[in-house]
Amino acid sequence: MKARDSLPLAFLRSACVNGGVTAGETREASLGKGDDATAQSHGFPSPRVPSERSAGSDSGGDARPATPYDFSRKYWAFAIPAVIAILAVIVFPWLFTLYMSTQDWKIGGGSAFIGWSNYAILFQDERFLEAVGRTFWFTALAVVLPVILGVAAAVVFHREFPFRGVLRTVFTMPMMATPVAVALVWTMMFHPQLGVLNYLLSLIGIPPQAWVYDPSTVIPTLVMIEVWQWTPLVMLIVLGGLASLPPEPYESAIIDGANAWHLFRHITLPLVWPYVMIAVMLRTIDALKVFDNIFVITQGGPGTASETMNIFLYLQAFQFYKLGYASALVVVFFIIIVLLSLLLLYARQRSKWNA
Amino acid sequence: MAKVEIASLSKRYGENFVVKDLSIEIPQGEFLVLLGPSGCGKTTTLRMIAGFVEPSSGQITLGGRDVTTLPPWKRNTGLVFQSYALFPHLTVDENVAFGLEMRKLPAAERRENVAEALRLVRLEGFGERLPRQLSGGQQQRVALARALAFRPDVLLLDEPLSNLDAKLREEVRVEIRELQQKLGLTTVMVTHDQDEALSMADRLVVMSQGEVRQIGTQRDLYERPADRFVAGFVGRSNFLAGQCEGDGAFISAGGLRMACTAGVRGKGTLALRPEAVSVGPEAAHLDNSFEGVVEYISYLGSVLDVRVRLAPQDRIIVQIANRSGEVLPKMGDTLKVGWPATSGRVFAEES
Repeated sequence: MKARDSLPLAFLRSACVNGGVTAGETREASLGKGDDATAQSHGFPSPRVPSERSAGSDSGGDARPATPYDFSRKYWAFAIPAVIAILAVIVFPWLFTLYMSTQDWKIGGGSAFIGWSNYAILFQDERFLEAVGRTFWFTALAVVLPVILGVAAAVVFHREFPFRGVLRTVFTMPMMATPVAVALVWTMMFHPQLGVLNYLLSLIGIPPQAWVYDPSTVIPTLVMIEVWQWTPLVMLIVLGGLASLPPEPYESAIIDGANAWHLFRHITLPLVWPYVMIAVMLRTIDALKVFDNIFVITQGGPGTASETMNIFLYLQAFQFYKLGYASALVVVFFIIIVLLSLLLLYARQRSKWNA
Repeated sequence: MAKVEIASLSKRYGENFVVKDLSIEIPQGEFLVLLGPSGCGKTTTLRMIAGFVEPSSGQITLGGRDVTTLPPWKRNTGLVFQSYALFPHLTVDENVAFGLEMRKLPAAERRENVAEALRLVRLEGFGERLPRQLSGGQQQRVALARALAFRPDVLLLDEPLSNLDAKLREEVRVEIRELQQKLGLTTVMVTHDQDEALSMADRLVVMSQGEVRQIGTQRDLYERPADRFVAGFVGRSNFLAGQCEGDGAFISAGGLRMACTAGVRGKGTLALRPEAVSVGPEAAHLDNSFEGVVEYISYLGSVLDVRVRLAPQDRIIVQIANRSGEVLPKMGDTLKVGWPATSGRVFAEES
């Protein structure tokens, strides 16, 4: 009797696993046909339920059968397109770059193996070291400022006020603009004589500025564009975080006499911090690899005053045709980005209260 | 510790009264429960006392101090939310200490109060944990400790037990009640659960659609319900439609003549508690005695609910204690039922 009871159960489970039979049909098969269920379950395509399960557990179907993994070779075929794509666009270029970085390879000049020499030269190249320092300086500003302003904007837009929807859309528009077109428009606005920025400054009695045409102001000016363009992204991320916060802790804190600053400092900020960290991470990676704006507006100038790692890389590879040298630079750049990302991921993990 | 006076308190949104003309005095140390179905205005009332909702009219006095227009943080009330509202990123200690920090208590006193509050809710040794490392019941107790830590004049509980499972709920009920009595805290609790309300309260306010239906002790509400709503909401009642003859006589829709407490002449409803009905031989001597057919039986263990048809339009549920050895009625049996005149309460048709 016991064995007979368990067989329909086994059948039920296998039906669940295979997913091909509706509940109604299953019940009909196992209850209505009684003993015939035995034959039924045998006829069913490969019910992959371990035998001790079906025999031992008549206590019910609460324990779901473990998914049977099938490592048959035939399924590997499904992975092939993905493997090919990854090999073609990630693994091969990567390995080839590593190979190139050990070569003295000039476009049109052939190549020769030189081992670590490219790296050795790179770390003595003052222009490179300056570019690294400049990149970090630019990145620090282009991360911190948009994040501070973005969080502030998110707090503002989290409140209800008239025309909030329209204003939020207007505020996010810089993000949607085409990068190169934006850079060209800024270039026109920066023009010392004809640019609108100096005209606006003249209206309030401030002397004209050199903007991107002066080595001392070029980086802050480029950061300004970055802030204008990417603060909305930070705002959107943080706004999403704010929307997910429960209202009760705030009321509870208000009873305790917390003022607006306390609420922000002790509740809002710690609770949205994981979201802020996401924004910091995205901004850092973005700012490190900044290229389009700088290339269109200054090409790294004046002199080398706005030459970041990417611009330096571009010049080495496509102006001076030193492919081997540029490849070594790419490898170093890659390592820097990976290390920074790991650091930020670790910081984000630490900041999580809802882990 | 303070008494709370609420005078003709109303909250109106447009034409719509959420709370209408609520007046009650809560003496110091009383546990008052606002009971009613959802949307009856009980939570709004509590939030008006806490200061989150501004009353449209009326006055709230805490310990002789008019707080009607004061902001929440100047009222010295402790509020426990249904969702606990703990700060997820702070430890238990920091959660409890938050209110004290905001009130600028010196650090030493703060530590003392936190320890004292956690001891009251029996959570010593949990101070370093984060809320998510605690069970629902423990989180609830942290919320309570937080509300108690700054020694509030009034404790406000907004459905504090609704997020707990049934078993735990009964334990925490007793715990909160004992704590409240020990501290002599004036407490106002909101709930829609009548068991919870009956087991914890000194006094209850039954509300429906913004209006107070009845204020009284458990016994008042159960034995002398003010209207049909209270009779149905607090405990169970059979309701028989019919006509009241005025002089303690009621003619049911099925044409049965029933003796009852005096009611207003005209269309009305007779309310009868299922356990007030006797069955068998003893029913014959009572003021009202009828014979009916058993239509349906629910076996609930300690008691049986038996639906008896007295007349085609008159069906009542009778609750019979399940004493061992007795013969239980079966479906289709003819059963004698009876009840004293005082058990039947007549309510005039609500306009």
